[in-house]
Amino acid sequence: MDLSKDYFSNFGLTVAYQIDLAALADQHRQLQQIYHPDRFVAGTDAEQRIAVQTASYLNQAYAVLRSPVGRAIYLLELQGMEPLAPTNTSMPMDFLMQQMQLRERMEDIPQAADVESELDALADALLGMHKSLQSAFAEAYQAQQLGAAEVIVRKLQFIDKLQQECNDLEGRLLD
Amino acid sequence: MALLQIAEPGQSAKPHERKLAVGIDLGTTHSLVATVRSGRSETLPNSKGEHLLPSVVRYRADELPQVGAKALSHLVDDAANTIMSAKRLMGRGLQDVTRLGADMPYAFEACDDGMPMLRTKAGLKSPVQVSADILRVLAQRGEASLGGELVGAVITVPAYFDDAQRQATKDAATLAGIQVLRLLNEPTAAAVAYGLDSEQEGTIAVFDLGGGTFDISVLRMQKGVFEVLSTGGDSALGGDDFDHAIANWVREQRAIENLDLSQQRFLLRQARGAKEALSQLEVAQVSFAGWPGVSCPLDLELDRQQLNELLDPVIAKTIRATKKTLRDAGLAVDEVHQVVMVGGSTRVLRVQERVAELFGKQPLTSIDPDRVVALGAARQADVLAGNQVGEEMLLLDVLPLSLGLETMGGLVEKVIDRNTPIPVARAQDFTTYQDGQTAMVVHVLQGERDLVQDCRSLSRFELRGIPPMAAGGAKIRVTFQVDADGLLEVSARELTSGVAASVQVKPSYGLSENQIAGMIKASWSNVEEDRGARSLREQQVEADRLLEAIAVAMQADGERLLSEVEQQAVVAQMEALISVRNGEDHHAISKQIDVLAKATDEFAARRMDDSIKRALAGKAVDNI
Repeated sequence: MDLSKDYFSNFGLTVAYQIDLAALADQHRQLQQIYHPDRFVAGTDAEQRIAVQTASYLNQAYAVLRSPVGRAIYLLELQGMEPLAPTNTSMPMDFLMQQMQLRERMEDIPQAADVESELDALADALLGMHKSLQSAFAEAYQAQQLGAAEVIVRKLQFIDKLQQECNDLEGRLLD
Repeated sequence: MALLQIAEPGQSAKPHERKLAVGIDLGTTHSLVATVRSGRSETLPNSKGEHLLPSVVRYRADELPQVGAKALSHLVDDAANTIMSAKRLMGRGLQDVTRLGADMPYAFEACDDGMPMLRTKAGLKSPVQVSADILRVLAQRGEASLGGELVGAVITVPAYFDDAQRQATKDAATLAGIQVLRLLNEPTAAAVAYGLDSEQEGTIAVFDLGGGTFDISVLRMQKGVFEVLSTGGDSALGGDDFDHAIANWVREQRAIENLDLSQQRFLLRQARGAKEALSQLEVAQVSFAGWPGVSCPLDLELDRQQLNELLDPVIAKTIRATKKTLRDAGLAVDEVHQVVMVGGSTRVLRVQERVAELFGKQPLTSIDPDRVVALGAARQADVLAGNQVGEEMLLLDVLPLSLGLETMGGLVEKVIDRNTPIPVARAQDFTTYQDGQTAMVVHVLQGERDLVQDCRSLSRFELRGIPPMAAGGAKIRVTFQVDADGLLEVSARELTSGVAASVQVKPSYGLSENQIAGMIKASWSNVEEDRGARSLREQQVEADRLLEAIAVAMQADGERLLSEVEQQAVVAQMEALISVRNGEDHHAISKQIDVLAKATDEFAARRMDDSIKRALAGKAVDNI
């Protein structure tokens, strides 16, 4: 395993946004079977250290590749872009408006008559937006429209964050 | 990476050369040792046929400590010297312990570094030493049963243990002379025991309620790989809390005040008895026969309904944690195929009822909940020792609690989120906030809260010698590496100058290498046993350990704290130890260990002074 190569190559995948997630999981299991520190308990200190590093790399790579947002960011980084650079903050106005509306909707949920169904509806809406942004990214990336792809990645990040907050809210309200 | 490809996993061991390895469940109330024989995992009994070793140690003046049933029988008549539930104190500071202390009948004393010590007739004992005494008995039992020296042990810890608690457990094993093959999370061990028996694939939830800890883990099993999806729990919640709730109720019913140690123990024992009886009966008697006090209160009855009322608040906490853990795994309750019950406290019917209610299915209890963890640990020990060839099982676990760093304003910046699969390495870049700043304090924390004061402080170290630059000019990269035991190592590096610092995170309330070495020596000088091949091996291990500890210390501080002549003297004694260590005479090794230890006493003292000075200096830096 050459840790300096890209994640896709080390997992035996072609560099693309749409990947076979089942094959990825399978490959991850097989690679960990070979490189995990548990296989080097009797090894030298150096072997054990390398095993910890390699298994860490595999875990990191797997986490990035299987995450729809992580994978998109990584693809752009491979193209030498920095989609998450702090200077990269301008977003289309209509998207920002939509974000504000979603946020207000979330803030109102604790006062709703039926909290659970409101939460479910919001979660479904967010999931739908997430999915369509994923398709949009795949198209833009395929067509090598990297500037457009970069904007989509940042939109995905916003939705991702909302999904997390929605999840946390669910935890607080339904326990 | 060539190194890795040379080693063909599993093929290094010769077919007939079976390595002896055990799994140890170091529990709050009792402990077990298990091994794999003829393909079957089994717990090992002592000479009387007892499998469970009560996790109780009684210290006596000028005599070896008693461990297990013997110690347990003195719980009431020698309460102050008979230590139980030491696991609850592992890796804790005196402040945490004082919180638990109201419920624990011991005399605590702060050691210099804030680590709580228990005052006993045999002197001050740390929780780590108490655990080591238990581990030593289990390892001896393993060697006696298997008829040979162990290559090592897998020791289980609650999944929810933080870095300090894990490190303390590993220290206890080191102190007991046990090679730790892996620290394994208890629920993962249980899943292994169940998973291999049923050879199922799918999602499994492990509900583990022990004497003093609660863990909930959700795993996916596929093709021999056990992948932990999420874990949660409470490292200070368990059956002991049931007993306390019942004992408090009894106390209120009989208006008993100002309990002494023996009375407290007595009440807890009766409470536990009633709790256990109510798993079979509808009504249990709480008897005061044998009450260690002047006026004996009247006996009373406890029925199931009253019991449920007392236990429900504790059980509710476990149900909340379970829901949260499922959410973390991104699963709904009906996506869980099996629920496994682990830990003696899951025998309580009310617990089973509430868990069945949550998941909408009966939990599995077919493997003895007291033994299942040890049985799974033995499987893992067998694999790690290299006894399994071919299709091997693999356990992929996660970090239970987030790791982070202190930033401006007492806030915690997370570096690795909880439930991240381990091993894991993450780096985060920081910068200086003052013009000309040349030092930076790196404060490592564990926990989910935003404020430093609400998280556990794991370690503090300083990166010095940063070249003076304008504020924001330096780029300091802090790297966290968590290994497969869940233990953290942190390093920091200033990228423009290459100035580096690194620490193996030693918990604030843990033991230093020197303390461990000293304790090992003290414990060995107490042991009266044959000094044959075993002694030789032990002395060699001890010699290696001491040599390594001194080598590390010399490399770090030798030049700074010792003159050239002093350095040469230490090196000469180290060489002398190396030469006798390779011989056969354990007396000679032992003698030279003493000589070397004495020769480095002054060095150790200077290092301690130096670290105190640095700690003070660190404060100054902090306040710049």
